[in-house]
Amino acid sequence: MLLSDILGSAAFDGDGNRLGAVVDARFRLEGRTSPAQARMVALIISPRSTSSYLGYERKAASRPVILDRLLRWMHRGSYLVNWEDVAHIELHRVVLRPGFERRDAALEE
Amino acid sequence: MKRLFAVALGVLTAIGGFVDIGDMVTNAVVGSRFGMSLAWVVVVGVIGICVFANMSGRVAAVSGRATFEIIRERLGSRAGLANLGASFLINLMTMAAEIGGIALVLQLITGIGPLLWVPLAAFGVWIVVWRAKFSHLENATGMLGLSLIVFVVAVIMLGPDWGALARQALVPAVPSDEAPATYWYYAIALFGAAMTPYEVFFFSSGAVEEGWRRRDLGQARLNVLVGFPLGGFLSIAIAASAAIVLLPQAIDVTSLSQVALPVVQAGGTIAFCFLIVGMLAAFFGAALETTLSSGYTIAQYFGWSWGKFRAPAAASRFHVVMIVGLLAAIGILLTGVDPILVTEYSVVFSAVALPLTYIPILIVANDRDYMGRDVNGPVANAFGLVYLVIILVASIAAIPLMIVTGAGA
Repeated sequence: MLLSDILGSAAFDGDGNRLGAVVDARFRLEGRTSPAQARMVALIISPRSTSSYLGYERKAASRPVILDRLLRWMHRGSYLVNWEDVAHIELHRVVLRPGFERRDAALEE
Repeated sequence: MKRLFAVALGVLTAIGGFVDIGDMVTNAVVGSRFGMSLAWVVVVGVIGICVFANMSGRVAAVSGRATFEIIRERLGSRAGLANLGASFLINLMTMAAEIGGIALVLQLITGIGPLLWVPLAAFGVWIVVWRAKFSHLENATGMLGLSLIVFVVAVIMLGPDWGALARQALVPAVPSDEAPATYWYYAIALFGAAMTPYEVFFFSSGAVEEGWRRRDLGQARLNVLVGFPLGGFLSIAIAASAAIVLLPQAIDVTSLSQVALPVVQAGGTIAFCFLIVGMLAAFFGAALETTLSSGYTIAQYFGWSWGKFRAPAAASRFHVVMIVGLLAAIGILLTGVDPILVTEYSVVFSAVALPLTYIPILIVANDRDYMGRDVNGPVANAFGLVYLVIILVASIAAIPLMIVTGAGA
C-alpha cells in the first residue's frame, strides 16, 4: 500500500460517523537508520481541513507567527490516532475501532 | 582581484539576466499608456524578487534543496501535483513568449516572418541546454544582455523634461483617459513580470547546480541585492523611453518595433544594433532559464536526477522534459498566435501563480530542521509577510481585473 492511498481519506468511527480527513501519518525509526525502513505508528485526523499542516504540526515550528496561527486554526480539533486503533482501510475510507483514543497531534522535537 | 572579478561578474549577470520579454513589453506598454505613473510597481516588484530570490538561494545553499523539492515535500503529492501543473503551464507560456521574442528580434533584423524563426530559435535553445556549461550560458547571456543599457542612454539622449517624468513617478495618478481598473490591471502585470516564478526556480536550482555552501551566501546576496535593482532600473528606463516618445503621439505598443522606436529615434543605427544584441541575449537567456525551469520543476517534483552538472545520460528524464517543453512551446507559437500577446498573458498568469511558489519558500526558510541557524530573521520575515499579502491580493485580483478590463484593452 502507498501512503498516498491513505492520505486524504475520510475517517469514520465504528458507528459509521464521519470524523474528518486523514491529513498526515507518523513514522518511527525505532533504531533503524534509513527513513525507508520507518514504521507507521499513527494517523493524524483533522475534522475541518483536508489540506496539509505544511510542517506546523511540530511544536518547534512557530514562525512566521501569522502563518503558524492560521494553519493551527485551520486544523483546530485535530488529533492523533494510533495505528492499533485503526480497524480497517477501504478505498478512500479509514475506519477506526470502537473506543479509539484521541491523542495530541502536536509533534514534539 | 579574482574575488572582485567574481563579484562584478555575478552582479553584471544579474542585471543582464533580470530583463526578459515580459519586463520589456509590459514596461513599454505601460510607459506608452500611463507614462511613469506605474514606476513604483517596478520598485515594489524588484524588492519582492530580491526578498524571495535571496530566501530561495539561502534555502538551497543550506539544505541542498531547490524550490520544487521543497514544494513537493511541504504540500504532499496531491496538492504538490496541482501546484506543479499550474507552475509548469505558466512557465511553458513564458517559455513560448521568450522563444517568440527571439523570433521577433530575428524578424526585425531580416524581415523574414517569425514563424520561420521559431523552430530555429527553439533548436538554438535546446543545443545550448544540451551542450553548454551552466556557468557559461548564464554569464554569456547576462553580459550581452547588458547592451540593454542602451535604453538608459536613449532616455538621456532624448533630453526629456526630467521634472515632469519625476512628478509622474513620485506622485502617481491614473491618467484621465484611462480607467482605474486598467491602471491596476497593468500594475499587476508589471508586478508579475518582475516577480515571475521561474526566476526563483532557476535561481534556487542554479545554487544547487553551482554547489553553493553557506560561505557563498554573501556573494549570492550581493548579486541579488545589487544586480536585480539595477535590472529594475533598466526596466524603468524602458518605460521612460516609451513615455517620452510613444505617449505624446498616442502610439500603442503592439510589436517589438514600437519598443525599439524610442531607442532608434535617440541613437539611430548604432543604438539599434546595441538594442538588437541586448534583446537577443535577454530573450535567449530567459528562454534558457525557462526551459531549464521546466525540467527542474518536473524532475524535482518526481524525484528524478536533474541538473546540468550531470551528463545528459545521467539525467535523461530531465532532458526529455525540456525537449518536450520546447516542442510544446513551438506548438503554441506555430498556431500563429502573436508572441507579444502570449507575453502579455504570461505575466498576468505569473501574478496569479505567485503564492504557489513563494508561500512554501517563506515557510521552509523559517524551518529550523532545514535551516539550522540560518532561518529567516525578523527583518526577512517582516518583508516576507508584507509581500505575502501583496502577492495574495495581486493573485486574487488578477483574473477579475483581466475580465473587467478586457485584458487591459
